Amino acid sequence: MASVRLKTGQVPTPELDQVVFDLSCGAKLLVSPRPGAPMTALQVHIRGGHSLDAPDLGGVAWMAGRMVDQGTKLHTADEIVDELEPLGGGINGDSTGLSGTIVSKHWKKLCMRATEMLTMPSYPKDRFELQRGRVLDRLSIERDDPRSQAMHGFRELIYGDHWLGRPHYGTLESMSRIERKHIAAYHKKNWVASRAVIGICGDVDPEAVKRLFNRALADWKAGRDLGTVEEDYPAMKRRVAAYQAKRQQVHLFLGHLGVKIQDPDYPALVVMDHILGTGPGFTNRISRRLRDEEGLAYSVNANIHSSAGNMRGVFSAYIGTSPEHTSAALTGFMEEMKRIQDEVVPTPELDVARNYLIGSFALGFERAGSRAGYLIRQYRFGLDSDHLKTLPGRFSAVSAKDVQRAAQRHLFPDDAVLSSGGPIAKKALLVAMGAKAKP
Amino acid sequence: MTRHTKTKASEASLEIRAGATIHEHNLRNGLRVLLAERHGDPVVKVILYYGVGSRSESDQEAGMSHFLEHMMFKGSSKYAKGEVDQLTTMLGGQNNAFTGNDHTAYWMRFASDRWETALEIEADRMTGLTLDPDEFNSERDVVLEELSMGEDDPWSVLAKRVEATLFGRHPYGRPIIGYRESLLAMEPADMHAFHKRFYNPGNATLVIGGDIDPKRAMKSVRKHFAKIEAQPKEQSEDAFKLPMPTPGTGETRLRLHWDDPGRRLIMAWPSEPVGTDADYDLDVINGLLSNGRGSRLIKRLVENEGLATSISTSNDARVQAGIFWLFAECAQGVPPEILEAAIDEELERLRVEMPTAAEVKRVHNMIGAQESASGESIGDVAEEIGSMAIDATWRLAFDGGAGHRKVTRKRVTQTAARLLTQERRVVAWSLPTGKEGI
Repeated sequence: MASVRLKTGQVPTPELDQVVFDLSCGAKLLVSPRPGAPMTALQVHIRGGHSLDAPDLGGVAWMAGRMVDQGTKLHTADEIVDELEPLGGGINGDSTGLSGTIVSKHWKKLCMRATEMLTMPSYPKDRFELQRGRVLDRLSIERDDPRSQAMHGFRELIYGDHWLGRPHYGTLESMSRIERKHIAAYHKKNWVASRAVIGICGDVDPEAVKRLFNRALADWKAGRDLGTVEEDYPAMKRRVAAYQAKRQQVHLFLGHLGVKIQDPDYPALVVMDHILGTGPGFTNRISRRLRDEEGLAYSVNANIHSSAGNMRGVFSAYIGTSPEHTSAALTGFMEEMKRIQDEVVPTPELDVARNYLIGSFALGFERAGSRAGYLIRQYRFGLDSDHLKTLPGRFSAVSAKDVQRAAQRHLFPDDAVLSSGGPIAKKALLVAMGAKAKP
Repeated sequence: MTRHTKTKASEASLEIRAGATIHEHNLRNGLRVLLAERHGDPVVKVILYYGVGSRSESDQEAGMSHFLEHMMFKGSSKYAKGEVDQLTTMLGGQNNAFTGNDHTAYWMRFASDRWETALEIEADRMTGLTLDPDEFNSERDVVLEELSMGEDDPWSVLAKRVEATLFGRHPYGRPIIGYRESLLAMEPADMHAFHKRFYNPGNATLVIGGDIDPKRAMKSVRKHFAKIEAQPKEQSEDAFKLPMPTPGTGETRLRLHWDDPGRRLIMAWPSEPVGTDADYDLDVINGLLSNGRGSRLIKRLVENEGLATSISTSNDARVQAGIFWLFAECAQGVPPEILEAAIDEELERLRVEMPTAAEVKRVHNMIGAQESASGESIGDVAEEIGSMAIDATWRLAFDGGAGHRKVTRKRVTQTAARLLTQERRVVAWSLPTGKEGI
């Protein structure tokens, strides 16, 4: 098949106009009006999240967010549900803030309830106990789930004691220690205006949105802004963990520390990912080899860019496969990581990845929720105001040499950790891993 | 030899669905074409539905529809293995496919200036699938891994047992993915015959949704599909039309074990085909029981009494019948029989007491709001229109809630009393290994 190179100017790009306001309380407000949109979406990001959890109380930040919809000083949980649900509305929270959607003409109701949750959640004691019980149930089941355990093990191997190595919803032990007073205190101290950015997209008038938030959040405490978050990770080194369980498949996570989204190599890494393990179907090397050619798995992928944020993410290669295929799967991962470092990517393969990234750009912005999410990401990560317009051009400018250089800088096959969950023992895993590490 | 059929495109109607203008055409070879024209986003989704799924399979063919779906990406006369993905990706598009009980669908999503490539690919795979034996064997390994993945999921294992119990020897009782034995016994020649039987214009509906020019779209459709020969009607029909089993006269109970602390419950009732009055009634019942935190089951059992960590219901209406599902996970420390008794109380209330007007209005409103939410993505609009078209009629899709608003309080109670009885249901528990009871 002939190689075709798309030009960025040929590609339809989504329009995402936005108006930025500084609210009087100190929060930032980003509004993207979209006349006629059937749904309006709201997202509020509060800086901090589970980085602020004490190690023995992991899950406090998550519970504080999770429970904001369980009642406010003005409305009970039932009243909120009875008001919003019939309008197609709902609000959910987590450790990093809250989000919600509603049929557009009712956007004010969504925003008003959200402002109550931001400033005055009531955290009813009975609801807290029920919610915590549900989380504990979930955690006790997850403790026996090989895929979850392999994934947690993988992050622990990479991040060690750093908070990024801990699940944001805590552990069975830490969640058992959490009391209502912990989450109330967490919310009071940390859900403050100076750490908040609010994004809204839908059939709304920006000035009307600003008026509503300025009025409803007038008394929201600015609080203290957060300083720099510590980044002290374990040195990259081969480490292996195995969670053994009787199942049909073993889940393998192989990888290491990744990059920040501001890394100058980021566009090249996005292109590299699509060649190595993220491109759709069998256009990426790892899927083509391990799934299409060797038939080892239904589910296999590799990626470094999607976890990049203001903190370093991970490079992760994943496969769910029968245990007898472990060695072949690891061989595939390691060899493909090394190949993309050692060999310049052929132009047709590079064109496929670049063209996909440029051409698919318009596809991810249909929903109001996706647009609101983009507004927040753009602000959080300090992306330029014309980022959406310039990114396709930046992908287009990535050369084969750029990809190779990025792979050499950011992939570390010989220092990758390996975590497994399923019917394979650590000893067997070490053998498979060791044999491949030193061919 | 391919006979070039003249196309006689008859545009039956122009209706609006989720902001999209629907144009319906029928080619002479039997291909139905639905254009859903909407210009909000520069995006087009093309979906080709075939009226073939696990329902169309014999016992020996169990899993063939799904396996064939995988093989449709492994080469056809114009596109070598991998080229469909390569070409789609090169054009910045996405593609995938899915197989259900009653239909199989292939979709592609592109920016609106380059979607017509999808038609060329689909027309080629409809007529010229390669089915190379080596590729067949390699892809079978992938399907077997997919099967293993499902066998590691306790909910999937439990649901398969329930379907088998509800439908007996009817194909709805078999898993869509098939069985290890049936998959291992399949040969490329069997799949060739299966493809020929079901992959033809008369058994297909093509939906093109999004930022299109309808005239130009139809011109392109004709260019690629009009020359495909029509198949005799009987070849498109299901080979195996077993009667639906009569629901038993007593409750059936199943118990499985899994090596984690979860206590998982499925209740299931045989229901009625898609588009029937009962289908609409069960949608409303579904809303009353578990749509949102204000619904009866979630409010009482999860939010207020803490008997379950999660609970949901689902109205799974199919072409020949359906299943009304209830899934619940028992909270730790709560005896399973307590949860089951509480669910039974709520079901009994549904069967004997009419819901309040406010409750029904809430559900009607929520269904309308969900339609607005689904309508945000033209891809979802195209998918819903196509699946309704192939299983019933596309006019059921995105009707603004009209069908559901006809469901009265009385109808809810009558349908619950008729279909959701204790005698007709299967109750299946998955309990921790070594635990007895229920």
